[in-house]
Amino acid sequence: MTNVSASNKPVPAPERSTNPLDPTRPRAPNRRRAGRIIALIVIATLIALIPFIFKLSPYVLNIFMQAATYAIAVLGMTVVLGYTGQINLAQATFFGLGAYAVGLGTVVLGLNFWLALVMGIGVAALAGFVLGLTTLRLGGHYLAMITISFQQIFNLVLVNWSGVTQGPDGVSGIARPSLFGLRFSDDRAYLLLCTVFLYAAMYFVWWLPQTRTGRAMRAIRENELAAEVTGIDTLRVKVIAFTLSSALGGIGGALFASGFAYISPDNFDFSRSVEFLTMVLLGGAQSAFGGVLGTSLLIVLPEWLRFLKEIYLAVYGLAVILIMVFLPTGIWGLIRARLDRYKKPTPVDISAIATLDLDIPVTDPSPILSLENLEKHFGGVKAVDGITLEVMRGTVHTLIGPNGSGKTTMLNVLNGIYKATGGNIKFDGVDITHTKPHERAGLGIGRTFQNIRLFPLMSVIENVMVGAQRANNPVGDGQLALRERALSALKFVDMADHAERMVKNLPYGHQRLVEIARALAGHPSFLLLDEPAAGLNQTEKQKLGELLKRLKGHGLTVFLIEHDIGLVEQVSDTITVLNFGKKIAEGEPAYVLRHPDVMAAYLGETAHANA
Amino acid sequence: MPMLELRNVQSHYGNVQALKGVSLHVERGEIVTLLGANGAGKSTTLRNISGLIPPSSGDIFFDGKPINRISPEKIVRMGLAHVPEGRRIFPGLTVKENIMIGTTARGRLQRRQMEAEVEEMYGIFPDLRRLSDALGWSLSGGQQQMLAVARGLMSKPKLLLLDEPSLGLAPIIVQQLFATIRSIRSHGTTVLLVEQNANMALSVADRGYVLATGNVLVEGTPAQLLGNEEVRAAYLGGGKRALAD
Repeated sequence: MTNVSASNKPVPAPERSTNPLDPTRPRAPNRRRAGRIIALIVIATLIALIPFIFKLSPYVLNIFMQAATYAIAVLGMTVVLGYTGQINLAQATFFGLGAYAVGLGTVVLGLNFWLALVMGIGVAALAGFVLGLTTLRLGGHYLAMITISFQQIFNLVLVNWSGVTQGPDGVSGIARPSLFGLRFSDDRAYLLLCTVFLYAAMYFVWWLPQTRTGRAMRAIRENELAAEVTGIDTLRVKVIAFTLSSALGGIGGALFASGFAYISPDNFDFSRSVEFLTMVLLGGAQSAFGGVLGTSLLIVLPEWLRFLKEIYLAVYGLAVILIMVFLPTGIWGLIRARLDRYKKPTPVDISAIATLDLDIPVTDPSPILSLENLEKHFGGVKAVDGITLEVMRGTVHTLIGPNGSGKTTMLNVLNGIYKATGGNIKFDGVDITHTKPHERAGLGIGRTFQNIRLFPLMSVIENVMVGAQRANNPVGDGQLALRERALSALKFVDMADHAERMVKNLPYGHQRLVEIARALAGHPSFLLLDEPAAGLNQTEKQKLGELLKRLKGHGLTVFLIEHDIGLVEQVSDTITVLNFGKKIAEGEPAYVLRHPDVMAAYLGETAHANA
Repeated sequence: MPMLELRNVQSHYGNVQALKGVSLHVERGEIVTLLGANGAGKSTTLRNISGLIPPSSGDIFFDGKPINRISPEKIVRMGLAHVPEGRRIFPGLTVKENIMIGTTARGRLQRRQMEAEVEEMYGIFPDLRRLSDALGWSLSGGQQQMLAVARGLMSKPKLLLLDEPSLGLAPIIVQQLFATIRSIRSHGTTVLLVEQNANMALSVADRGYVLATGNVLVEGTPAQLLGNEEVRAAYLGGGKRALAD
């Protein structure tokens, strides 16, 4: 990849030549796919062989080597920043750890290169793991500051702990490795080795987003709170992202050290981290190709613009600003958008989708949820003020009350977004008062939000698949099982024909349905719905009412917040009324909706007349 | 000359066509409502009018002047306010500051007049008076919705676009809100209202349009629309049930 932009040779041509295959597209998607893969392999091989085909000066080979090793570290940034949305300004630290492991390991300790490489990856990954743990409490600009400090400490250690690191002088005389008796002392051979590593890293980073973990990463980027509530252990996934990212940084650094034979602390300082950041943003943070494209450009550009040397960092800064303003998805994002215009979504055969299995056996007569004297205070405000209630299995239990009476707060305490100030919550006989939201999702508590919380830059089906992959979901783990479950859930809410669309392009009401489908895909036994009818018209509300009744028929318990009294009356078995965080009435709809206190605080006069 | 006129407006999100040629008009002093299923293009129509999305073709006239190539800020200054769906309030400002910011487009106001107008909003939404010094983010969803509507009203526009103002409000507040919409009109503001609560919307509107997949399907008075069996069945919640509710 790196070499293409440098040489400007007619390498892209094969890609164009595959296009005449397009007319066969509608009939043979597999053949087209195979054609594309073959084309990609041909291009990749040609690029890797450029140094052997054309005569390149050692100087140019060095630049290519730099680009290839940097690009591996930048692919780490793709994982942590592009996929997971976590800022990392310490990638040069992990790059440096890999480099020093190889430098010191081979030169000082006399270890074999491959052993030192593995050590470097291990050390970098461990450091990334530790840094990832800090995201438990910190995010956004605080995380940025932590990573900067991490980077600075690393640099200070490199410079000052000269007994071990050889200080500012750095490590020199790092040898090239050999494999099966083959020595990579020739620059071209070593570059080929780097390219192979780069291709492997690219394949891994390209493959990752479609996996369970990759989807979880992107969900965290799009909406961390929703991801946690849907059942993703967000801390674990963020730590995985940091660990993978730093391991890639370590690989890049290890290859760099051996390639250039000499390393010193200033190869791995803060400005290098900023450079990695710029590369990934410039190229496009959300794709493996973007990271490599950005790296190539930013390594080759300065060579063309040598006269800029002194204001190098200023140019980087300017590039970041301009890209953020004009190309928020980077160069690859722009290319991607162009390509997507020609992509026709494969139509979904709705009749072939299996019916959604939602059955929850209702045999136990005990309440599924019981709250005892539940309290949630914000400073002096008692948003939930000593609520005791029981929700029976297989019923629709509705919470109503004036705006600001504590309904949504109560839901947030129920699924763990807020910690209760006092009291306790028992779910299915287990005390869950102190568990995390994703653990509650794992027990079968599903949730939708008042102000829709979907993953806007993911497709409809991906959103719902995230719901299907909660822990303990009886539907199975495989990609195919998740996909089928998601399609069934979409069919259940009548949205299967929108499966491949991007969520952010859907109208409000459809987004609501997708959110319900996401919750149902997790096969919940208990479903918290916060104003599901908001933004639906009368017809759609009636459909929703029927849907809720169907859910109840399957044995699900629904805990509902809703303002549409028609709907509430139609579906509720029990209604609880809140006012100022306290329960003011509870019982069957016919009783509660005619309760004078409820009419005065909530329903008002007209509704009174209608009811 | 109508206050607002749309002629064959088309609009796209990427390569998805959201409006396929919408023509409608709103006369001075009218309350007009747009009805239709989700995805019919109601919110998109409002966003095209207020300049948040430039239409891909067609013309929009406000007070006789074409506005389809004018920026949203300038359109606001011409006297057209848009209260979008989804509670866009300023989380770091107090409730009162949020309300006062609504007057920005009207230039500088006398302190006393400002206070009087804020007081008027508190009259409509008594909850907001109690929360006057609370920060925007600390409000519940329904309270934020009230605040967004109050801020829109403060710009005293010639034409007010309301996108689902009743979303997430308790029934008692919804009744007050619709009474307010009626009184806004009697103070000389024309209203274009998007609502899912069709029965409620038609109870205050002079005329309504029903949109379907980016086209205007029917236009008429509330009585005509309510009497149209097809419209009732498809968009207003079929038959007698809805009335009973």
